[in-house]
Amino acid sequence: MQKRRRWLAIAFGLIVASMLSASAADAQSTAALDPAKLAEIRDQNAKCFACHSPEGLKSPPRQDMDLDKLKTMLHDPALYETSSHGRVECRTCHGVGATTFPHGANLKAQVSPCSECHAAKVFRIETQFDASVHAKTQKDKFTCWSCHDGHVYNIAAKIGAPHKIIAQDNAMCLDCHNSDLQFSKFAPVDKRRPLIGRIHEWLPNTQLHWAAVRCVECHTPAGRGFSHEILDKSKAEKNCVSCHSRDSSLRTRLYRHLLAEEEETLGFVNSVILPHAYIIGATRNPWIDGAVGAVAALLIVGMLVHTVLRLGAALWRRRGRRPA
Amino acid sequence: MKTRIYLLPLWLRLWHWSNAVLIVILTVTGASLHFSDTHLTMVSFARAAQIHDIAGMTIVALYVFFLTANAVTGNWWQYIPKPPGIMARSLRVMRYYAFGIMRGERDPHEPTPDSNFNDMQASAYFAIMYLVMPVVMITGLIFLFPLTAPDRLFGLDGLFPVAVVHYMAGAAVVLFAILHVYLGTLGHTATSQYKTMITGWHEGDLPSGRTSSRRAR
Ligand code: HEC
Ligand code: HEC
Ligand code: HEC
Ligand code: HEC
Ligand code: HEC
Ligand code: HEC
Ligand code: HEC
Ligand code: HEM
Repeated sequence: MQKRRRWLAIAFGLIVASMLSASAADAQSTAALDPAKLAEIRDQNAKCFACHSPEGLKSPPRQDMDLDKLKTMLHDPALYETSSHGRVECRTCHGVGATTFPHGANLKAQVSPCSECHAAKVFRIETQFDASVHAKTQKDKFTCWSCHDGHVYNIAAKIGAPHKIIAQDNAMCLDCHNSDLQFSKFAPVDKRRPLIGRIHEWLPNTQLHWAAVRCVECHTPAGRGFSHEILDKSKAEKNCVSCHSRDSSLRTRLYRHLLAEEEETLGFVNSVILPHAYIIGATRNPWIDGAVGAVAALLIVGMLVHTVLRLGAALWRRRGRRPA
Repeated sequence: MKTRIYLLPLWLRLWHWSNAVLIVILTVTGASLHFSDTHLTMVSFARAAQIHDIAGMTIVALYVFFLTANAVTGNWWQYIPKPPGIMARSLRVMRYYAFGIMRGERDPHEPTPDSNFNDMQASAYFAIMYLVMPVVMITGLIFLFPLTAPDRLFGLDGLFPVAVVHYMAGAAVVLFAILHVYLGTLGHTATSQYKTMITGWHEGDLPSGRTSSRRAR
């Protein structure tokens, strides 16, 4: 009895210890930075949030400010923290001119371009971007920032949940494509904004699709990984079967970050999609299909045999050989 | 001697053939949707979705007509297997299909206006028309308005159970329909039951004057 208790206690201790070490390892991996550095970044950014946040506007630290202007320049600290740039200080991009108030005159012009910190990425992406419809038609106005609000943008792999990735990435496009005002800032003067619903009338259950796939699924070239080349509308994907099939292109697009977790839930193919969407033609079950096919085959064979027997019996009877 | 009785009213025959055509359309387009990337695809996915939606809504409307007409005319009673002795009579029908028909025996059930189906038919039609078809139609209607499906269910997408039930119940209807077409050839002659469903007249072999075959046996 005593012995068993001791064993139980040791086992319990081991479990607790392993859980503690696991959570410690977890914290370390999410905080690649040391805590002191992280605290310093938060402190620095809190200085800006003292004015540039909804709280800041409610209780401004100074009275000599243009509050109407500030109202249009608010940022959500929580969203910023979870964004890809959550660990970047505001002043790294905005320059030291922003740290004093009143700010320097041409603060806007002083923002670092993406390439300053992401030389390799920008080099790769810029060639795709330059080939995109936006860059071709509005090279001067359209920049990386037109789509990526660096204060909130988060990369897909880190977001994880497909519906959140969809919401973020579609909001990017719809920000312009659903707003006459925003669209007109970039479009040629005489260009009217085509209504998104009208353009995609051929796509049934349009609202459902907007919630289940991203614009870029159809508007970028197929291939491994994501390309920034937004294609000309004549090259956009119109073939339903590119998604609604076993080899759904969504495997290499929206769901590519989740593929590693794929397990054959209930024997379904593309089961990585099942917790998030049911896609006719893509999420199907070879076992059920096989069972239906087998029953159909049995039925047909049964009917054929019966037919042959009937015909045979009829012939037999007609020949009068059957003993009464 | 031969008797000739008017068995099937016009509305029933019209309903039956419209229903049959729609089931074929729904089967072909449904298969094209489900097996979108295989050789079973007979219609392009986009066209199949379009046709399937329209045919689906039509068959629902037709079903409402079927229910109403059945209620008004009292025809629904035909689908109710009547105890006692359902099992015994069904077994007799099965035995007839398996052996009796080979030996040229008489069908143990002779249709009459007040008892059109044998007990096996009554049970099967009852199950298909009043149990399986409603399931197909209700899941189909949810499918038609997928945003009405629950968001999530058991950790999977809410449309998942709807889709799987729709597919399996639809398959059951199709499998039944295949059998139904074959059983239709098991009348007095291979085509006699088809003729009845077209003209409404049944050529029977009851002794004249008799209108019901049930109690006699
Ligand atoms: C004391 C309040 C206050 C603080 C602190 C503050 N700002 Fe501002 N900021 C403003 C106001 C008010 C404006 C509106 C324009 C103006 O009056 O200059 C503004 C404008 C801006 C602009 C837009 C300039 C333009 O011309 O469009 C940027 C960028 C900016 N701030 C960044 C920062 C950053 C980064 C920090 C932190 C390092 C910061 N601000 C700290 C009040 C503040
Ligand atoms: C990755 C670089 C980057 C970081 C980090 C960054 N910003 Fe910005 N910010 C920009 C760019 C680029 C613009 C210009 C956007 C435009 O032209 O519309 C901008 C614009 C602004 C503006 C004015 C326009 C607006 O939409 O509000 C304010 C205010 C601002 N940033 C505040 C901040 C604050 C506060 C932080 C830190 C919490 C911060 N920024 C961090 C790049 C950055
Ligand atoms: C001041 C330097 C700086 C500037 C300017 C800057 N970034 Fe960043 N960016 C960073 C840092 C630091 C990270 C976080 C480190 C990391 O994960 O690569 C980051 C992360 C990212 C990520 C996530 C990448 C990943 O693989 O995790 C994206 C996307 C991104 N930045 C886009 C942009 C875009 C678009 C611009 C221009 C609008 C921009 N950045 C400008 C410093 C910068
Ligand atoms: C038309 C809108 C748009 C423009 C313009 C744009 N991006 Fe993106 N970007 C996206 C979308 C959408 C994604 C998410 C794709 C994904 O992760 O599947 C993305 C993802 C990214 C990523 C993370 C994924 C990766 O490929 O590493 C980086 C980094 C990035 N963009 C940088 C840039 C830079 C730099 C520019 C300017 C040259 C730019 N973006 C311009 C829409 C845009
Ligand atoms: C900053 C505003 C803005 C954003 C963000 C934006 N677009 Fe556009 N887009 C435009 C404008 C303006 C045009 C019209 C260009 C023209 O006709 O000259 C356009 C045109 C297009 C076209 C039509 C090209 C053609 O062949 O006529 C497509 C497709 C398109 N955008 C897709 C997207 C997608 C997908 C996204 C998101 C990843 C996106 N856009 C984000 C402003 C935007
Ligand atoms: C299922 C694939 C698909 C999805 C998802 C999709 N599109 Fe499209 N889109 C197309 C196709 C195909 C065309 C070309 C239509 C045509 O020419 O009739 C098109 C055309 C367009 C055009 C060009 C309109 C014009 O006539 O100038 C714009 C802009 C556009 N889409 C934006 C978007 C936006 C924004 C989203 C996300 C909300 C989106 N698309 C999602 C397939 C898609
Ligand atoms: C970019 C990929 C993509 C393309 C292209 C696409 N779809 Fe879909 N479709 C989806 C996804 C993802 C869903 C799942 C929605 C859900 O369950 O949340 C869906 C759902 C549907 C549904 C509702 C039933 C279901 O499976 O959930 C229909 C009907 C449909 N699509 C028809 C079409 C037709 C017709 C086309 C071609 C004109 C088409 N789709 C093109 C991705 C796509
Ligand atoms: C015998 C009858 C029917 C059969 C065999 C059938 C079969 C199918 C099949 C195989 C699918 C693809 C589902 C998947 O892959 O998971 C489907 C989808 C669908 N079915 Fe049916 N179905 C039938 C009747 C109906 C009815 C009565 C309705 C409508 C009320 C309906 C509405 C739908 C809808 C809306 C879809 C989604 C695709 C689309 O929008 O076209 N179906 N059906």
